[in-house]
This record gives sequence, structure tokens and C-alpha cells, in this order.
Amino acid sequence: MNTGTFNPPEIDYLAIAPILIIFGTAVLSVLVEAFVGRTARRPVQLVLVIGSLLVALYFVISQAGTRTITANGALVIDGPALVLWGALLVLSLLGAMLMAERTLDPSGDVFAARAAALPGSEDERQFTQRGWVQTEVWPLFLFSVSGMLMFVAANDLLLMFVALEVMSLPLYLLAGMARRRRLLSQESALKYFLLGAFSSAFFLYGASLLYGFSGTVSLPGIAEAISAKPSQGPLLILGMALLVVGLLFKVGAVPFHQWTPDVYQGAPSAVTGFMAATVKIAAFGALLRVMYVAFGGIRWDWEPMLWVIAILTMFVGSIVALVQTDIKRMLAYSSIAQSGFIMLGVIAASAEGLSASLFYLIAYGFGTIGAFAVISMVRQSGGEATSLSAWAGLGRTSPVIGAVFAVFMLSLAGIPLTSGFVAKFGVFAAAIESGDTWLVIAAVVASIIAAFFYVRVIVLMYFSAPAKEPAVVAVPSAFTTIALAAGVTVTVVLGIIPQPLLELVANADVFLR
Amino acid sequence: MTELMPAEGVFSLIWLLIALPLAGAIVLLFGGRRTNSWGPYLGVLTVSASAVLGVLMLLGLLDRPAEERTVEQTLFTWVFVGDFQADMAFQLDQLSMVFVLLITIVGALIHVYSLGYMAHDPDRRKFFGYLNLFVAAMLLLVLANNYLLVYVGWEGVGLASFLLIGFWQAKPSAAAAAKKAFIINRVGDVGLSLAIMLMFVTFGSVSFDDVFRSTSEASEGTLTAIGLLLLLAAAGKSAQFPLQAWLLDAMEGPTPVSALIHAATMVTAGVYLIVRSNAIYNAAVWAATAVVIVGLITIFMGAIIGSAKDDIKKSLAGSTMSQIGYMIFAAGLGPIGYVFAIFHLLTHGVFKAGLFLGAGSVMHGMNDNVNMRRYGALKGLMVITFITFMAGYLAIIGIPPFSGFWSKDEIIHAAFERNAFIGIATILAAGITGFYMTRMIAMTFFGKPRWEEGVHPHESPAVMTIPLIILALGSTFMGMALLFWGNIESWLEPVTGFASEPTPLPTMFYIGVTLVVVIIGAVIGWITYGVKPVPIDPPHGSWLTRAARKDLYGDAVNDVLVVQPSLATARYLSWFDDKGIDGFVNGIARWVGLLANTLRRTQSGLVRSYALSMVGGVFVVVLALLLVRMN
Amino acid sequence: MNEVIEPNLGETLVFWICGGLAVVGALGMVISRKAVHSALWIALTMINLAILYVANSAPFLGMVQVVVYTGAVMMLFLFVLMVVGVDSSDSLIETIKGQRVAALLLGVGLTIMLVAGLGAGLSGAGTIGLDAANAADGGNVQGLARLMFSDYIIAFQATGALLITAAVGAMVLTHREYWQPRKSQRELSQDRFTDGGHPGNKPSPGVYARHNAVDTPALLPDGSTSAISIPAPLRARDDARAIDVNDITNVRRLTEGESE
Repeated sequence: MNTGTFNPPEIDYLAIAPILIIFGTAVLSVLVEAFVGRTARRPVQLVLVIGSLLVALYFVISQAGTRTITANGALVIDGPALVLWGALLVLSLLGAMLMAERTLDPSGDVFAARAAALPGSEDERQFTQRGWVQTEVWPLFLFSVSGMLMFVAANDLLLMFVALEVMSLPLYLLAGMARRRRLLSQESALKYFLLGAFSSAFFLYGASLLYGFSGTVSLPGIAEAISAKPSQGPLLILGMALLVVGLLFKVGAVPFHQWTPDVYQGAPSAVTGFMAATVKIAAFGALLRVMYVAFGGIRWDWEPMLWVIAILTMFVGSIVALVQTDIKRMLAYSSIAQSGFIMLGVIAASAEGLSASLFYLIAYGFGTIGAFAVISMVRQSGGEATSLSAWAGLGRTSPVIGAVFAVFMLSLAGIPLTSGFVAKFGVFAAAIESGDTWLVIAAVVASIIAAFFYVRVIVLMYFSAPAKEPAVVAVPSAFTTIALAAGVTVTVVLGIIPQPLLELVANADVFLR
Repeated sequence: MTELMPAEGVFSLIWLLIALPLAGAIVLLFGGRRTNSWGPYLGVLTVSASAVLGVLMLLGLLDRPAEERTVEQTLFTWVFVGDFQADMAFQLDQLSMVFVLLITIVGALIHVYSLGYMAHDPDRRKFFGYLNLFVAAMLLLVLANNYLLVYVGWEGVGLASFLLIGFWQAKPSAAAAAKKAFIINRVGDVGLSLAIMLMFVTFGSVSFDDVFRSTSEASEGTLTAIGLLLLLAAAGKSAQFPLQAWLLDAMEGPTPVSALIHAATMVTAGVYLIVRSNAIYNAAVWAATAVVIVGLITIFMGAIIGSAKDDIKKSLAGSTMSQIGYMIFAAGLGPIGYVFAIFHLLTHGVFKAGLFLGAGSVMHGMNDNVNMRRYGALKGLMVITFITFMAGYLAIIGIPPFSGFWSKDEIIHAAFERNAFIGIATILAAGITGFYMTRMIAMTFFGKPRWEEGVHPHESPAVMTIPLIILALGSTFMGMALLFWGNIESWLEPVTGFASEPTPLPTMFYIGVTLVVVIIGAVIGWITYGVKPVPIDPPHGSWLTRAARKDLYGDAVNDVLVVQPSLATARYLSWFDDKGIDGFVNGIARWVGLLANTLRRTQSGLVRSYALSMVGGVFVVVLALLLVRMN
Repeated sequence: MNEVIEPNLGETLVFWICGGLAVVGALGMVISRKAVHSALWIALTMINLAILYVANSAPFLGMVQVVVYTGAVMMLFLFVLMVVGVDSSDSLIETIKGQRVAALLLGVGLTIMLVAGLGAGLSGAGTIGLDAANAADGGNVQGLARLMFSDYIIAFQATGALLITAAVGAMVLTHREYWQPRKSQRELSQDRFTDGGHPGNKPSPGVYARHNAVDTPALLPDGSTSAISIPAPLRARDDARAIDVNDITNVRRLTEGESE
């Protein structure tokens, strides 16, 4: 007996085409694993990955003006979503370039020849010698990207949760597949997985409490419920707190940050670069959407909490980075500190705050992926030279790479004429306009502390005698070269002529509700 | 306020002033070893071309009536967020013009000098690259039409200065000095960045034009805050009290760097900033008073430090502090002082560059020894250096008709226009200047040789002496030229404003008194260091030794009144420098390090402890939200 | 809006009993030392949750909970644990100072806040129940289906990505490939003879009164031990037990002594 009539949801397939393309290609890519011969797999996968990213990017650009909510309110395609999609796709493209690199390591790929082979075993040696490659990384990579695209466009908490998992699960796997120092890599992957699952549980708990509060999981629905119920109960507060914890984990905010250094260090540098840039963008995209759309009406409630988190994040990240001796760990703490700065844009809770955050995320993404590209090129006999001491004097032995890395460091430190300066200025100005002057003063102090460790690397590269076992810069193939060139170009161009991007993000400064 | 004129004719090339040295820097720093042979010459060429362009622009400005001398060139809109706009735009007016000339001409001379001075350095190319980078950044600083762009140049000169101080990084002291300069400068930078943010919030713009037009709209409290923050910035960059400590250490850099950056140009950026912001200080009396106080304290600190140092460059650095103190002081006096602050800045830029390069020439001949107690009797061996140094010497102590006399005298006169007490203080400081500069001359060029073994002093090559000669000519005639022929007051007046107030006594009286005090100081210096032999080991200034020497010093009453307290104070100050400021900086560093290590320990690598800290975070987040809600 | 329904006594009893048992199961899972016990405890939790679902008019969810979680997933867990070895238990010695105390305090504190918050938020809220929602679509299953294929169609399909990722991931991490062709039965038996190896069964490990484990070598007629009676991995690890000749004589003496 059917009393209700079923109305199929109307889905604007063109608007969500980027998600569908990446998603579909990911499935196709799994089939390629199954049916294409071993030697042909890698080229086929690369064509699929790069092709699908470019086609998806085309669809994003071609519908720049689209503002729509589709699939019964599950997905929203608005200004911020499109900007974030564009950024995610371009950075994923660069990340794919890094992951496709195979001339830097004398033995081949950046990933282990076979992730299942025990580290140090005869099997591992044989697989490596035979030049086998784990091409399954490509479908995993595409699934992760599709999850990110959904994550920033999700308009209800259920889809947001699924997208969060679709984004994260492949990353847990990719993090554990480093070619060298495999035990470290596997350990970091397991840590990432366990803690990620832990944080997902908080997110889910929060979402269910919010459902209990409002009777819906849709973000605008929650906002309506908030404005409809004058005596907003503890259910809302608890739900919001737990939900935010899940998101803060992904952006690496203190005290949910501790996975960051371990995972950044253990994962292959190509994956770290990809992950550091894109996950940060996706997670902040979602955080901004949740805070602005769902909880915009009670910003006075959550702002003090985020002040505390932002200040902790900026200072812990900057201070602990000072004593790091491993460059990847240092950049991990740097990414934590940067999260704190971006949070100023979230706290601003204004159109300026949103567009400044978007600009910051893009500037940060390119700088970070470029920095990890450099790290993947600086090598010693045992693989990448991640110990800072090996970088001493690098600026003198390899002036171009030294200078490029210095540009990334200066940008992350927020020195003028780099993208990082414009980005910092934007979020600081937005926060001041929203009346958070003290927070900005704290952020300025934190950025001074942060400047020390960035400049310390430059000092090390230029002012120190080369180490006993100096690192050498391996000559990369076109893949890494493209990623690196794109990173440094964007960093410098956005510092000198940021106007086009500023206009772009200024046109994307409202979330569609 | 004069109208902004569009950039036409030669002024459409304003951007090229900056682009030339910047291009030089890029080629040199990224060109690699290929550019080793011709790179330094390219560096000289780009800066010289900028200088020529600058002169052409000066002629262009002179062709125009005074109210049309502010030219603006907008390249593109740089940052545009919401209501906020900052352009990549340049403003060339009378004030910028004199700075452009100072930077490019002195810069070009120092580049030429460096060809000789750095001839044997393996990293010569990089040195010239950094120098070009500095010139480009400094030009950007003075040509910017808004504070945000000033900030870009400000950071740029800071970076170049940092790289150049640490240029001989093999010396740990050089690396430490670079770090110290960087740290202290960052404190000043905070001032500037906060001032910019405050301006943006108050005026909705950071361009000079908008800010200065709307100062009347802001409350005096806000203006005072902006003024004090700008003063903090100026103090950091210009080595003024209480951020002066880095300048002495910065002498670890190559001498041409000390001459260009740490004497003639970069350290005067603070003066530029204050004079440029005159509209703010005119409306904020307390901020201007703070400027005067900071300037006055630094005048004495610098002079006293200069009296006690045996290291020729550090002694000159103390003197630089003191002279910039004069400029800051004058800038704080308001419209009666702005013009003379800039006037003194120009003359000082030239004669101090000459003195530093002279010191470099001496060091070049003495195997890079900087200890004046191991010099002596060089006047016969290094004739050109000696003569040019004397020109600088006479200029700095203010003997007519040398350039320093005109500019310093105007500042002292302006001080008396405001207040007799500060006027007397500036005269006293001029006396100390006479003392320490005479001491330097006496220890270096006169007396008996106290050279170390194996040192054979010789004159420097022509490539070094020619810039010395040009700078010496500048030290001699520039003051008169600017004052009588160039009419500096009326030239700068449209930008800075100019006023003159009556003084109770005739001008000649102040000139006379100043000269007498300076000569007394010089004579004391001469008696102490020129007539008496200079001991190689620095004498102890303790009570006992002083009592033993009492009859030697007894004939100069002022010796006990000025020199010994000066030395003691200098020692205290340098102790304060080492223990106080360094201690403060190191203390912070140690504290931060300790904190970092404590925090690092929480990173145990064990998942369960990470999970625990996450739970702690959840606890705090929930609690914070509930507490906020309950209120 | 649906009318608020007051829960009846039966529902209240079911909630408190099953809810309590679910919590007990969850605690038991965390506290147990052995993995198998943990798996069984969590099965208890799952079943009780299923009962609660059914009691809340969500029979489909209850069935799925039993079939999928309690049935399939938990049994799979148990299988894996049995294969890995039921005896293996983790070291529970805590090495981080203060970890347990802090975890306990924070856990209790968080629980108190959550319980207090939920209590305050839900007190007097009453229950709505699913009856109205179920009736709207003609049944629980139909209602779920409608939601799944309309509002949450994207989320539903995206879940597919998770399953594919999980499958690919499991394969990547565990699937063992061979870098040389596997030998056929024929080739293996040929190898056995061509190598001049031992064609027949290898001697079984020694069986004595005191030792009868696989690490105890067999005794040859001359009293020496046979190396090939021990599995190769044990030999490689030097884990084979040595046979003390005195042992044999001691045993003999004891047994002879007894017989006397």
C-alpha cells in the first residue's frame, strides 16, 4: 500500500559535473586496474587522471556564474564552492604531477613497488628491482579528490560526513605507501587512520545531536531552527561543539593537531604536498560553510571558542616549529600555524572574512605544494634529505632551487611581494573590521615568531657552511618541474598582482543558503 | 596640499628607477656563475642608470612650478579588498626626489668603491646582487604613494640589510649580528604594520593623499596612537632608543654596506617615515613630543658610545646613531624642523658615507684591523684617504663652511626656537661629537704608529679613492649648495611645510656658542689622544687607575666632567647593550625555546596520547561554548 | 507537527534495560584484555541497539543492524581473531605517565557534560516516534527508501566510493603477488627429486615424556638428533630445543627407579 507518491530529486547534472567526472573516472580507473595489462596501466591511469582533472576544471570555469542548490538541497554550487573547486582541481593536478614523478628516486616511483610486501623482505627487493608500480594509487587519488569536491559543496551534514570519509579514507592509504622509510610511513598511516576515525566519531555525534535539536541535517535547516527557537538549548551547543571538533581535526587546529607532524613526515612527500594543500582547503571550505550558513546566527556563541583555538593554534604551531630538526615536521607545524591564521577569516564571520580566507587558502596551497616539491628533490643517498642539517649551504650549491624554496618560505612567513603577505593582510584586515583587534595583535606576534623559523631555513641555506653529507638536488622530470614552476609563479604573481584573484574571491563572498 | 599630477614625459619612467636595480639583482642572484665576470659591472651600471634618470627627473621637476611638482604614477591596483584599496603606485615629489638622488648617487659611488673593496671576495657577484636589491627596495620605500607599499620596501630593505650584515656568514659574530638586526627590526615592523591597520580602520585608506587629507576627521587619540606606532617603526629601522642595539653589531657587514645602508640610506628611513607623515604628527602633539624625546636620548647615547669604542666602525656607528638622533629630533619639532631634518639627512648621508668609506680604506691598508689603538701616523701613508677623511671630519663636527655645519646649525637653531633647554642639550651633544671625532682622527692618522706585526699600510686603489674624493667634495660644498643655491627650505616646503619662529637672541650668537663648544670638545679630544701617546691596551677606567693618572688628566677639568663619566656611561651602555637588550632578546629566545621543548614533549608519537589530547580539546571546546552560553 | 506521544511503561523498560546493556557491552569491550572477549562484548552492544531500533518503530534498521553488524561484521571479526590466535593479548602496561588518570578524568568530565547537556536539552521534550513518518510513505522500509532515493541520493551513492576505496585499499595492503611464476605440482615434485633432497616424509618431531612439541628433535637410532625433524623456520631461528643426554638417562633412571 503506497500512500505517498515518489518524486525523484531534480539534479542539475551540469552544475555538479566536476564531481561526477572525477567520481566516474575513479570508478573507471578501478576497472583499468582490473583489465589493462601491467605495463600499460601507468600511462593509461595518468591520462585518465590528468584528463579528468582538466575536463572537470573546464566545467568549473565554464559555469563560473552558476549559483544553485540541487539534489533536493544536498549539494550547493555557489561562489565559494566554485572557487574552492577550481583551487582543489588545480592543486590536485599539481599533486598528481608530484605523485607521477619517477626520475628523482633512482629506483623509480615515489610509492612502494608493492605496498603489501613486507618492508625489508626479499619480495620487496624483487618488486623494486623489477620496476613494478602500485598503480592503484590513482583510483584512490581520484576518489579522494571527488570526496573533497563534495565536501566543500555539501549542504547537509549527512553528505558532508560521507564526503569527509570519501576524502580521508584514500589518504590514509596513500600516506602509508612511501617507497622509503616504509615503517615510518605505515606507522603514520595507521595513526592518521585511528585518529581520523576518532574525530569522525565526534563529527557524527555532533551531527546527530544537531538533528535532535533541529529535526534536520541540512545546514540552512539548522539555521532556520536556530532562528525559530529563541531558547536555544544545550543540544545545539553540544552538537555544534562536537561537529566543529571533527572539522578542526582536519584543518590541524590545536589541540587536534598532533597527527599532523607524524603524518606529514611519514607520508611520501608527494602525498604530503597534495594532502597539505588540498585537505586544508577542503576542510576550511566546509568549516566556513558550516560556521557561516548553519551557525551564522549564533556567532557570538562560537567566536570566543574559536578565539581560544585560533590563538593556541597560531602559537603552538609557531613555537614548536622553532625546535624542529626535520624539514617535513617543520612544515607540518607551519601548516598548523597557518591554520590559526586562516581561522581569523572564519572568526571574522563577514563577506570580507570569507573572501580573505579563500584567498589565503589558495595562496597557502600553492606555496605548500611547491615547498614539498622542493623537498622531494633534495636528496641524499638514503632518499630525501629531510634533516634540516643536510640543507645547510644548499642555497650556494643549488642557487635556483635555494631561491625558489626561499620564495616559498618568505611567502609562508608573509613577507611583502609574495602571496602570503596579501593573504595575511586580507584575513587580518577582515578580522579587524569585525572587531577582533586583539586577536589580530596576537596573530601579528605569532607571525613574527613564525617568521623566525622560516627565515632560519633561508639562513641555513645561504649562511651556513655545507653539511658533512650535503644534500644534492636531483634533476626532476617534467612532472615535478611543472608543479614547482606553477607553485613559484603563483606565489610571486599573487604577491605582485593579486588583484584578479582578489576580485574573483570578492565575487564569491556569500554562501548560497 | 598640492595636486597630484599625472606622470608624463620623463616621469612616465618612475617605475624604471626601481626596475633597473631590481633587474640587476635578479640577473645577479639567479644568473649563477655565468655572471661572475661581468655581474658586478652590471650592478654598477644599473644603479648609475637610475642615478642619471633621477637627475633627469630633478631637472624635470625644476621646470615645473612648485605646486605641480608632485607626480603620481599608478601601475596597477595591487590589493583591493572590499572598501580597501592599495595601488602599486609611485609618488615622486620634492621629498622623494632628494631621497632618490641620495640613494642612487651615493649608491652608485659605493658600488664603484665596492668593485675595489670586494675585488678578492669569492662571493662578489652575490654581494652586488644584494646591494642592487637593497637599492631597489629603498627606492620603492621612498617612491611609494601609500603606506602598504612603503611596508613592502621597508621589509625589502630589512631583508637586504639582513643578508648583507650576515654576508661574511663564516664569522659566527656576523651571523649573530644579522639575527639580532632581524629580531630588533621585526619589533619596529610590528609598529608599522599595526599603524597601517589602524590607518585603514580610521581612514579607510592607506594612501598618503587620503590619509593626510582626512587627518582632521580622526580623533587626536587615534592620531597619537598612529604617531607612536610609526615612531616605533622608525626607531627600529633608524636604530633609535630603545631599539638601537642592532646598529653597532651590524658593523660586522662589509664596510661599503655600513656606508650605504647603515649610515647613508636605510637607517634614515625612519626619518623619512616621520617627515612623510608630518600631517599626522602636526595633529598629534604628544606623539611629536615623544619623537623629540627619543631623538634627544639617542643623540647622547650615540655620542657617548662613539666616544668609547676603539673599533673605528663601531665608533662611527655610534656617531651615526647620534646624527640620526638629530634628524629624528628635528622631525619631532614640527614644521620648524622637518626641512632641516631632511637637510641634515642629506649632508650626513654624504659625509658619513665618506667617513665610512675612508674607514674602509684604512682597514684595507691595515689588513682589515678595526682597532684604532693599532693605527696611528697614517696621514703620510694614505694621503688621499686622510684628506677626504678630514673633509668628513670637519663636516660632521660642524665647522664652517663644511656641509654639516649648515645643517646641524639649523637644527640647533630650530631647537632654540622651541625651547632653550633642548637647544642647550643639542649644543652639548655637538661638543661631544667634536670630542669623539677628534679622538678618531688623532688615533688613526696622527701620533706614533702602533701597527701590528707585518702590516704595511698603503693607499687604496683609484677605484676606491675616486668615490672618496667625490664624497669629500660633497662633504665640503653640499651644505652651502643646498642652502644657498638649492634653497632647500622652499624646495621641500610644499611637502613638509615650513615655519620659523623668533629666537630671543640673534642667530649669530647661537652659531658662535656652538662653535666654541665644538672646538672645546675637539681640543679635549686632541689633548687626550693626539698629544699624549695612545696606549695599545685600553686603559682601565676604574677608581684606582684614574687616581693614579690624576695628575696626567688634571689639566683638563672637562676631562673628569665629560670624558670619564662618558666612558663610564658608555661602558654601562655597552654593558646594558650586552646584558640588557641581548639578555632580553636571548631571554625571550630561551623562554620560547623552553616552551617549545615542553610542547614538543607532548608529541610522544603514541596514538593514545594524541587521542587523549583530542578528548581534552573536546572537553575545552564544549565547556567554553557552554560557559559562553550561560553568560 | 506530529503529536507528542508519552512513552508507555513497556517502552520505558525496554529502553532502560537494553540501553544499560548496550553501555555495559561498550565498557566491556574497552576493558577486556582479550580481543575475542572484546568482540563478544561489542556483539552484545550491537544486539541491544538493534532491539532499541525496533522498539522505536524502525524495524528495518533493527534487522539490518542484526544481520550486518552482529551477523556479518562481528563474525568476520571473530574469524580473523581466531586465525590470528585467540591467545594473543596486548600488553596493557601503560608507559605514559598520567595517561590513565587524565583519560579517566576527561572521559568522566566529558560524560558528565554531555549527560547534563542532553538531560537539560531533552527534558520535557517527549517523544514523537516514527509512526507518523512511517505512515506517510506506507511503511518503514518505504519511508527509508524514499529518503534514500530523494534527499540523500548523492550521499547514498557516494557511500559506494567508500566501499570501493575500502576494497581497493584492503587489496593493496594485503594482496600478495608473486614476482616469479608459481610452480605447478609437477614442477614441485620434480624439484624434490632433482635436488637430491629427501623424497619421502620428513621424520616427525621427537616425542618424549617431557617434551613433545614441534621444537623437539627426533632421536636417531644412534642417540643423535635428526635436524630435519624440526620445521625449517624454527631451525632458522635457532629455536630448536637441545636434547640433553643427561635428560634421557635421568628419565630412564626415574622410570627404572619407579619400576623397582
